[in-house]
Amino acid sequence: MTHSPLSRRALLGLAGATIAGGLFFACRPQASRSANLGGDAAAKVYVAPGQHDEFYAFLSGGFSGQVTVYGLPSGRLLKTIPVFSQFPETGYGYNEETLPMLETSHGAIPWDDSHHIELSQTNGEIDGRWAFINANNTPRVARIDLAEFETKEILELPNAAGGHASPFGTPDTKYIVSATRFSVPIGANTDVAISSYKETFKGTLSFISANEPGKMDIAFQILMPGYNYDLGRTGRGPSDGWFFFTSYNAEQAYEKLELNASQYDKDYIAAVNWKRAESCVAEGKAKTVPSSYVHNFVDGPSRIARSERKTSVRMLDPRDCAGMVYYLPTPKSPHGVDVDPSGEYIAAGGKLASMVPVHSFTKLQKAIADQAFEKEIDGIPVLKYEAVLAGEVKNSGLGPLHTEFDGKGYGYTSHFISSEVVKWKIGTWEVVDRIPTYYSLGHLMIPGGGSAKPFGKYLVAMNKITKDRYLPTGPELAQSAQLIDISGDKMKLLLDFPTQGEPHYAGALPASLIKDKQVKYHKLAENTHPFVTKAEKDASIKRTGKRVDVNMIAIRSHFAPDNIEGVQLGDTVYFHVTNIEQDWDILHGFAVLGAQTSELILQPGETRTLKWVPRRVGVHPFYCTDFCSALHQEMSGYIRVSPAGSAVPLVANVSRKAQTQVERAGQLDPRKPTN
Amino acid sequence: MLTRSRLLVALAAVALLPMYLFPLWRISLIAPQYPEGIGMHIHLGTIAGIKEHDLENINQLNHYIGMRVIDPHAIPELAWMPWIVAGIVGGALLVAAAGRRGLLYGWFAVFVAAATAGLVDFWWWTYDYGHHLDYEHAIIKVPGMVYQPPIIGTRQILNFHASSWPSWGGVAAFVAMALAVTAVVWEWRRRPGRATRRSAAVTPITSAAVLLLFLAACGRAEARTLAYDGTESCDVCRMAVTDRRYGAELVTRTGKVLVFDSIECLAGYLSAAGDAARDGRAWVTDFTRPGTFVRADSAWLLRSPGRASPMGRGLLATASEASRDRLQRELGGDALTWRDVVAQAAADRHADAH
Repeated sequence: MTHSPLSRRALLGLAGATIAGGLFFACRPQASRSANLGGDAAAKVYVAPGQHDEFYAFLSGGFSGQVTVYGLPSGRLLKTIPVFSQFPETGYGYNEETLPMLETSHGAIPWDDSHHIELSQTNGEIDGRWAFINANNTPRVARIDLAEFETKEILELPNAAGGHASPFGTPDTKYIVSATRFSVPIGANTDVAISSYKETFKGTLSFISANEPGKMDIAFQILMPGYNYDLGRTGRGPSDGWFFFTSYNAEQAYEKLELNASQYDKDYIAAVNWKRAESCVAEGKAKTVPSSYVHNFVDGPSRIARSERKTSVRMLDPRDCAGMVYYLPTPKSPHGVDVDPSGEYIAAGGKLASMVPVHSFTKLQKAIADQAFEKEIDGIPVLKYEAVLAGEVKNSGLGPLHTEFDGKGYGYTSHFISSEVVKWKIGTWEVVDRIPTYYSLGHLMIPGGGSAKPFGKYLVAMNKITKDRYLPTGPELAQSAQLIDISGDKMKLLLDFPTQGEPHYAGALPASLIKDKQVKYHKLAENTHPFVTKAEKDASIKRTGKRVDVNMIAIRSHFAPDNIEGVQLGDTVYFHVTNIEQDWDILHGFAVLGAQTSELILQPGETRTLKWVPRRVGVHPFYCTDFCSALHQEMSGYIRVSPAGSAVPLVANVSRKAQTQVERAGQLDPRKPTN
Repeated sequence: MLTRSRLLVALAAVALLPMYLFPLWRISLIAPQYPEGIGMHIHLGTIAGIKEHDLENINQLNHYIGMRVIDPHAIPELAWMPWIVAGIVGGALLVAAAGRRGLLYGWFAVFVAAATAGLVDFWWWTYDYGHHLDYEHAIIKVPGMVYQPPIIGTRQILNFHASSWPSWGGVAAFVAMALAVTAVVWEWRRRPGRATRRSAAVTPITSAAVLLLFLAACGRAEARTLAYDGTESCDVCRMAVTDRRYGAELVTRTGKVLVFDSIECLAGYLSAAGDAARDGRAWVTDFTRPGTFVRADSAWLLRSPGRASPMGRGLLATASEASRDRLQRELGGDALTWRDVVAQAAADRHADAH
């Protein structure tokens, strides 16, 4: 018997088997890093130094409560616009002029959760006047002016909770419409048991007249069955005059919604004929319901926000206004409802379904005419599913949420669970392309994609899960977004960029629409602030009891006055600082030691007030916080606080050095008003 | 018994020991939103996550579909298995020491029975968990959907691509089995009245080869069966895939399946997609067995211009050189490799661009 060759072969076989076993660990599938990367992606997103982006994209801040502005295609963050949350960086929600913006009927609230952006439209096209955004927690809608990128108006919504299905505008921005995610008891008796949900809890739709800046008002509300209204979209063209809202929780569950609100096979899209609602209101069918809410707005050239209280609202009950609301059955807890540019097709994203149902407006009208009703809920007819369905995009993916359109006959639907965007053809309902997103997107946005004339070209996917897309930054990561090229037949990934807060939705428009309308500075001559100081010689200080008003100017590189004495403990000091520059991008800041508020950041030509209650005796410095000039470090002053009852006289100076500097520069003749 | 058989049996006993130290099986899940993966190790005496909290997180995810919580304490087999394996190890040492053929056969029968029972039991548990769902409390209900992972291989389950393979402990068990089989075959051939002509080395090599083949069937990127009824359309040309002789697929690393109506569309896609598609596995239809896929890179291809393939290029594939040569004689045309096909597609694209 020969052992050696046999043992060797046996050993070889054994070794081979072991190696094969090791191959398992090479057989581990790995996630692909970036599919469908366009070959020249880098060139397509590079905006060279000195060049500008093609689009402004306004992204909601989600739980930050703000709006962020990005340039596309570079993905560069251009600005954060404070809306519902205090923003100490600029003093929004801290200085006296902007504090009223955050007033509500519950008191001042320093934060909210902003979800959706709606850009104003004229004849169904994005017009670049305003951006609207909602507050989800304490329901409100804000208007942002797009010439100044500033929040100018906030309207609180009464009889509402969870302002999620908001804001969505009609094709001429006559109305901005909001619907409630959380149903609550409404009316005289709101102290009811939670378990009485089915009997007592209601939702509301609010139609806000929005075409006049400074005058947002609730034209009427519609009382709705207690479902969770999720998202909305206007009709246009043939369906102009109608509005559509998805709802879920037709089960009317009030506890453990995760399970209990996911039971039914179908929930409803509410189709609202608001022209009919208008006529019912005109016929006096709306009830006046006492409601407490506020309207905050920036009052013209003074740039001071004012808050006015409102006390009632007109409310329509569908039972009193037949033909106003219909329900369209829609599969599986639908999230998004989106109307195609032609206004005929209404696509829904049933987030627990694996297809996209699309309703037809023509069939909807026919079903109404034929009375093809399945049943009625609280006076609202429920149409038969097959009677209104145009088609279903089958096997699109898992967890469809939201659709936008490119204006070339295609819809793009986000799929959360399968983490992809699916492109399908309107009319044939076929899936023609899909692209993964990283990871799990919620909404997507095509510039103009929710209007009658989409601009197309790009698609921004806003994701909920970031994981390994960027350098890790501890447990909490910035939300990721991808820019996708949709100009060709196949979608191509161009860029991956992190975002601020949690963008839920966005709106974008071509930069050319608003870029030349941007205000560069406020005209000092038109400043009507009661404490404006238009020239250095007019700077002053005044005591009224325990209140001290300092009327101060800021200019490169000094404040006037910059030495103040005679303030006492127990006083409240108001620094009214006017930036008297009339030049582009020359801002000044103002802060004083120990003040329990944020700094002021002063745009050229504006006046802002910092309220200070000194806490201790001593000399407190103040200084400019926004780097303004070569001698920015020298732009400072002192304010002396004496004990209460002290005999130190109240004086302020205009420093000699500053006076000389100004005269030498020949900039200002102190005797003449500035402009 | 031969000394070498006794040695092998002793080695088998040693080969079983890693089962106590390493996981037996690894079920890993990848989903778009789980790029880092999540998974379970089946150990001899327990079930644990691959990463520290994976098992809890899998159970958390499973609550959406109404699957029962995977609790190692609720699976009694996990308590017995360490003892059963101990018994087999002990038995092996006994057989090696005693050197009695009868004992060997008896021990081997127990070993095979235990291994088979183990695999069947494993399959049964995956079946049970995957099929018997709590529909009343399930939040995501996909009609007809079941969530059984494979016991070996891969499967797409909703957004998760599940991969199930033996881990080191399982490999050790297979090695031990291979050793035991070899010893038994050696002894069986030596039984009285049977002349042994074949080299005794054949058996270990054969069993190792069988093992290798088995293990190398790393079909994680298997092709999906198509319906050919017009519901699928080509991801390049959009035409419906209806001809069972020509369909092609690309299975990406995440298990996503791209469908093409013809080899030429698949090749065109690959040449356009470049590196991004390189990680995937390409499949083409065996023309002689319509509806059956073979790996493109190991297929035998023919370009027969007279054939009316969906995009008119006349590209066909078969699984063997013999079939391809036979087709070539019947239909005419040029024999190609997959590399040729892809290169030609790239050249065509280049030409079209000018």
